[in-house]
Amino acid sequence: MIQSFLGYLHSGVTPGEAGNLIWIAIYVLLVFAGISVGVMFMNWFERKIMAHMQVRLGPMRVGPHGLLQPIADALKLIIKEDLMPSNADKLVFWFAPVCVVMTAFCAFIVVPFGRTHAITDMNIGVVFMLGVSSLGVLGVIMAGWASNSHYPLMGSLRSGAQMVSYEVAMSMAVVSAVMMTSMVTGTGTLSMIGIVEAQMQQHIWFAFSFFPVGLIALSVFTIAMVAETNRAPFDLPEAESELVAGFMTEYSGFRWSLFFLAEYTSMMAVSAMATTLWLGGWLRPFPNLLGGRNWDVAFSLVPGLTFAALALICFFTYTRMPRIRAMRGDTAGLAVLGCLLGAVGVVMLLPAVRIRVQDIFWFTLKVAFFMYFYVWGRTTFPRYRFDQLMKIGWKVLLPISIGVVILTALIGVRQELFALVWR
Amino acid sequence: MSFVELLKKVFMVDLLKGLFVTFRHQHPDNLVTEQYPQERPVISDRFRGQPRLKKDANGKTLCTACGACALACPEKLIKVSSLRDPETKKKVLTEFDYDLSRCMFCGLCEEACPSNCLELSPDYELALYTREGMELDRQHLEDGTPRKVYDR
Amino acid sequence: MSDNQFYESLDETKPGHTFLDSNELVLNMGPQHPSTHGVLRVILKLDGEKVNGIECVIGYLHRGIEKIAENRTWAGFGPFVDRLDYTAAVSNSLGYCLAVEKLLGVEVPKRAQYLRVILTELCRLASHQVWLGTHVLDIGAVTPLFYAFRDRETILSVFEKYCGARLTTHAFRIGGCRWDAYDGFAKEVLKVCDDLGPMIDEYRDLITGNRIWMQRTKDVGYISVEDCMSFSITGPVLRGSGVAWDLRKAQPYSSYEDFDFDIPIGTAGDTFDRYVVRVEEMRQSIRIIRQAMEGLPEGPIIAKVPKVLRPPAGEVYMSIEAPKGELGYFMVSDGGPQPYRVRVRPPSFINLQALEKMAVGSLVADVVAIIGTLDIVLGEVDR
Repeated sequence: MIQSFLGYLHSGVTPGEAGNLIWIAIYVLLVFAGISVGVMFMNWFERKIMAHMQVRLGPMRVGPHGLLQPIADALKLIIKEDLMPSNADKLVFWFAPVCVVMTAFCAFIVVPFGRTHAITDMNIGVVFMLGVSSLGVLGVIMAGWASNSHYPLMGSLRSGAQMVSYEVAMSMAVVSAVMMTSMVTGTGTLSMIGIVEAQMQQHIWFAFSFFPVGLIALSVFTIAMVAETNRAPFDLPEAESELVAGFMTEYSGFRWSLFFLAEYTSMMAVSAMATTLWLGGWLRPFPNLLGGRNWDVAFSLVPGLTFAALALICFFTYTRMPRIRAMRGDTAGLAVLGCLLGAVGVVMLLPAVRIRVQDIFWFTLKVAFFMYFYVWGRTTFPRYRFDQLMKIGWKVLLPISIGVVILTALIGVRQELFALVWR
Repeated sequence: MSFVELLKKVFMVDLLKGLFVTFRHQHPDNLVTEQYPQERPVISDRFRGQPRLKKDANGKTLCTACGACALACPEKLIKVSSLRDPETKKKVLTEFDYDLSRCMFCGLCEEACPSNCLELSPDYELALYTREGMELDRQHLEDGTPRKVYDR
Repeated sequence: MSDNQFYESLDETKPGHTFLDSNELVLNMGPQHPSTHGVLRVILKLDGEKVNGIECVIGYLHRGIEKIAENRTWAGFGPFVDRLDYTAAVSNSLGYCLAVEKLLGVEVPKRAQYLRVILTELCRLASHQVWLGTHVLDIGAVTPLFYAFRDRETILSVFEKYCGARLTTHAFRIGGCRWDAYDGFAKEVLKVCDDLGPMIDEYRDLITGNRIWMQRTKDVGYISVEDCMSFSITGPVLRGSGVAWDLRKAQPYSSYEDFDFDIPIGTAGDTFDRYVVRVEEMRQSIRIIRQAMEGLPEGPIIAKVPKVLRPPAGEVYMSIEAPKGELGYFMVSDGGPQPYRVRVRPPSFINLQALEKMAVGSLVADVVAIIGTLDIVLGEVDR
């Protein structure tokens, strides 16, 4: 067993491909923990960023600057009373949040944080992710049905219809990105790692390739993914001020937190898909424009420096905390956090660590950019009415995405012919 | 639609403008939250808060027990009791009851007072845990009601 | 359909009931709801998404203010009037004082009139900020609420410094104003005017041109001029349909005739036009405030009025252009120290009649937008 444990370390593949069960288990646990921490962080992040954009402060009291707020929310949700409507279908009621959470987490099986940092690499990775996201729709509809009340049912049907409609446009955009992978080698690939490697080989992120077709595909995918995850401006089914309160109405406490977890996880999953397909996955920015050994070293210092900068922000905020007795705990906690972040930053500057960590760091940074965009959009835009939402999905995004596919194909074929003629 | 408008529609210029507006507001200087109770608001002198009876420099009450405030109050929640001092033939204040639970802080009593004694001070932290403390007697009005001051 | 018919149609035992009709759903937007701007109950009869019938149930905030008036003195009723339209308390106070002054035949000094105009226009700005924030919040955009309330804070702090209270201001007295401008009043009021101009431009960038906003509000909640007239709807709702009727120009009071301002009118009578009308009104209010501050005359701030008011027996109706519409006071005096009858003509109550006309035939998601665009405050509707 030790042999198998150590033997994996020098292979250049993901644990799933190597068939190493121990490492698969370790990676599964790491991914699960990472996403859970990510969801908790997203909760804080969203509340803080929304608050700052709304010229207010957001959570400030629960920990220093509200950093312990997600933990308080999680505790509150866990200790809440577990309700079930009287005539609800008990099995389906229980299973719906489980289904949504499972499918959201399953999507992360193929998400590559680095060349070897994925649980596995299926050769149909992209299709697997899209398929698993579609299963999530089933969970949503089950939730509405099991609640035995026509308002959640209407809400879940609307939500389901919306998710299904925007999946079509999403898939078309994905097809266009996959077609771009076949440019140099002549054979495309559906595997997530293969797509990033294709971007590496072609020395261009697909967002900028076949300019501006790549960008249009990315924008279509971004809009579709916002609608897919029921976020503003497409969040009519779960809006608070609308009449039909959405499929989550009858769920309280821990079950509701599972839906919440699933929503943020699927947000991260589709952002990961967008990053992999168009933004070069784990590749650092400007690999050939700013290429060469020195630039490589410089870019590999960025993760450590980011954490060091975060530690500095912590210490700066520490100096600005009010000096009253009641805030002593918070101030001390902030100093400890600053030290921890600083320590992590220093560790990440060590050569042995920074080679391994930089892929994960760039990938996470790009996903974080998408998450910021989600929060930014939620804060800014009003809500679409349901018929307008469906109209956009079918009559605007779908034709554009089909057009993108056709254009990609045409440009791709033309470039191939061009290269053929000149050889 | 003109070409420029078409371009604006395609490139979602209006949505991007909105995004930039919200982005700009994130600057820390723009945040307007006052973190009470560490930062308490600045209250003006004219603020109509806790009622107080003022005393003169010697500690003697300025109230002449005329009852004008009781007459002016729309809710009739002031009760002024007085005795006539046999020597000076003037009224002397004995009791002054003010029911804060029914008060709407309109300021008519403050306006009516001819001797500038009854005033609504700028004290706004009036919360209590029981109703009994809401009926103020003369001593509370002159010296103030003891209340816990929170710092967090 | 009459009340009886509507309730009978819900009763399962009566013939012709619609509760179990195919596809028709009765939805109750109850008194506690994030979007009903107070405790308004709206019963909707839906056919899928389409609204077939709508019925408002009001009275959840009825406090008997008009009855209370019969047991208070004329001056003592002043604070109660603030509680009608609580987002625009100064306006209500102005209407009441003007009505009693009309009954008494008292002439208000010029300085008091100008001060009243400045404060009332500031109050109009504050009320429109509340409307803007809540209306946009109902449609889904969450940030303009906070921007609007941040701007409202500057106005409320002027009120606090002037009369001692932010919301229930009791700003004016019968005969004029109780307080004169405090030190720094001019500076702060002009600062409010200067700061608010760019804010209104921000609303334009964030909301007005936004395609989602336009899709949600254009052609939603249409009401024609004829319907407005027949329901006696006033205020921005009427002006949004195209009628240039503003009491400040048509029947000027409190020296509004000295000021130069425009009346914004809409053309389409839909939610978008009413929105634009109200935002433009904010700009015009800033204009009025600037002119009034410049031309503020010296002089007394209150007329000579007896301590215990006994207006001569008679009746009076005085109406002003409140932010929500025509706010009128009909008062009957019997010569005594207390009013015999005070009847308030609340603009929100009258405008609420338009809800049925506007909402029937539209979609469920539009009902929320329409309630927002009517700008109702339940304090006024129920009194």
